[in-house]
Amino acid sequence: MRSFKSRVDDATFELNLAPMLDIIVSIVPMLLLSVAFIHVTVIETPIPQAVEKAIAAANEKNKDLISVTLSVSKTSGFRFTVNDNGQTKETVVAMKGDKFDLEGLHKETLSLKQNYPNVFRLELNPEENVPLEDIVQVMDKVRTSVTSAGEPKFTIKDEAGKSIETNLLFPDVVFGNVAGG
Amino acid sequence: MARRGGFTKYMDRRLSSTFKIQVTSMVDMFVILLVFLLKSYSTSPVNITPSDKLQLAVSTSTKDPVDVLKLVVSKVGIFVEDKKIVDFNQGALDVKDVDAADTQFIRTLYNELDEQAKKARKIASVNEEIEFDGKVIMQADRSLPYELLRKVMYTSMMAGYSDVKIAVVTKD
Repeated sequence: MRSFKSRVDDATFELNLAPMLDIIVSIVPMLLLSVAFIHVTVIETPIPQAVEKAIAAANEKNKDLISVTLSVSKTSGFRFTVNDNGQTKETVVAMKGDKFDLEGLHKETLSLKQNYPNVFRLELNPEENVPLEDIVQVMDKVRTSVTSAGEPKFTIKDEAGKSIETNLLFPDVVFGNVAGG
Repeated sequence: MARRGGFTKYMDRRLSSTFKIQVTSMVDMFVILLVFLLKSYSTSPVNITPSDKLQLAVSTSTKDPVDVLKLVVSKVGIFVEDKKIVDFNQGALDVKDVDAADTQFIRTLYNELDEQAKKARKIASVNEEIEFDGKVIMQADRSLPYELLRKVMYTSMMAGYSDVKIAVVTKD
């Protein structure tokens, strides 16, 4: 009679992994060519269709009536200039030591948005010595409110007069001083 | 006969010395590698190679880039679609590259962008599905001053590329 051990030895077998290895070795170089270690995005806020139309309509309506300009200076900080039907109002967010007060800027943007909920365009005028890194941070701060941190949402009306809630502050940032500024 | 016996013994010894390569652990390793590579697989039209000459700014933006003309402004020069157009002289524009009458205008960059715009318009004229919309993705080093970027944007605007999108990297 055969022992238990010899019966178990008969039942075991080895998988032939060579074809699987061949496939993996072929796939790995292909994937290595298309691998991306850094995820690149572009500065543009994803805007839902209805919100996008409402913003375009509001921008068109307020084009000549209300304009918001933000000047960025490495010495004096941020300066908001709001032109509301010919009346100009200025607000300054000073530097915090030798750094920009980005939190102060964000708070000021929120309060400005509460006064002008239908304005979405902001003209950005950085000074020549401001690096791109700071400009991008400024754009991030004025683009959206952080609703997860308890910041408010704003209500705008679409073409049909329906109210839409959005966390967008000034998503339409344009460089105002590119041409001859 | 004695010699034949010796050969058989030699063959027996030789056969017993053959072995199978154990590939299980190698397959395990490759499967882990495959999973990692599949996770990092990207079909994005904008891919950058990390370099100290081009470090993109960090942003909260999550908008994926579109496949449009690529303009790279690094610490060493300006590239249009991987072709070096302008060489910087100690991190700044050379006088010969800037127009004497208009200091915002980079002549050599304009010539290249104008050429690209002409090509794109020509393609758009024969293919109805393609439209020239003047979009350009600018990959610029985060330490570059606005003074230089303004010149690049102004020149691209003059060449017909007025919709400049700034490439950034996500925070995570």
